[in-house]
Amino acid sequence: MIRAIKIAAVFAALAVALGLQPSLYAQDNMKHENGLKTLETGTFHGQVHKTSGRATIYKEDDGRLVLRLTNFKTSNGPDVHVILIAATDANDDANFLKSNTQRVELGKLKGNEGDQNYEIPAGTDLARFQTVSIYCERFNANFGAAPLEKF
Amino acid sequence: MIAKASSWLLRKKWILAGVGVPVLILAWWEFRPEKLWINQRVSEPAPFASSSDSQPLYTGLLTGKAHPTSGRASIYQVGDGKRDLRLTDFTTSNGPDVHVLLAQSTDQNLSKTFVKGELDDVELGSLKANQGDQNYDLPDSVDLGKYDAVVIYCERFHVVFGLAKLERF
Repeated sequence: MIRAIKIAAVFAALAVALGLQPSLYAQDNMKHENGLKTLETGTFHGQVHKTSGRATIYKEDDGRLVLRLTNFKTSNGPDVHVILIAATDANDDANFLKSNTQRVELGKLKGNEGDQNYEIPAGTDLARFQTVSIYCERFNANFGAAPLEKF
Repeated sequence: MIAKASSWLLRKKWILAGVGVPVLILAWWEFRPEKLWINQRVSEPAPFASSSDSQPLYTGLLTGKAHPTSGRASIYQVGDGKRDLRLTDFTTSNGPDVHVLLAQSTDQNLSKTFVKGELDDVELGSLKANQGDQNYDLPDSVDLGKYDAVVIYCERFHVVFGLAKLERF
């Protein structure tokens, strides 16, 4: 009898503890762009060749990845490219050729100012290529880099 | 002597020009100095149709102060002038009387303990949960150019759990 009461008391205590536990998850869904998912974003830094703005990677509903630069500004220069590098960040004027940094070419920089989109080749591993770099191929110089973080 | 030198120059000027002009062209192509003052501006549309769907305006990463806090804070435009704050991948400590505030990132109070009245802030409400994605409505009049930081604040102990500096999206 006493044993049964003890067991009941333990269960009652457990129930109270569980009941008082704060709800750990507040889930609510917010509608997002139609079929378009924002994966990662980050801001550019670069002092030597004053670079600023935001880089964001979107996934379209057909699985294609797009890099979009917004409020973007950098120096104009010869043979400037947009690349993804296998690093968490990059210093000003870093030479990726010398440091043997792996990269994915996204194309020539369309303009040194303004909003612009670049297609990312299918199969690019974003877990490995974590930084966007504005890279001057002719002088092997990093104008600016944007480390990407999950959005 | 001078006449002799100038006659030498005269004789060799075609050779000088033959070497000098290509060198100049090569140097120009290499350095493209005119690009120092010529800007190239583009304005491509976003890859999605800009519609009534909510668009991010500001975003920033949360960093822990008094307690480990992480995740992302973003301000969305949710149509007809309404804006809201959305926390994603959010985690902080559970605690009593925790609030979500907007404040100025330059406010000296944020680096110490303070009573809420001392802070110039906009209250967004009690923290709904210490983990998970959650939304908070913004009052219509808030100037996000001024209030550029999201603060997770424990009112009972006057401490800042975590802070996110907002940057334009």
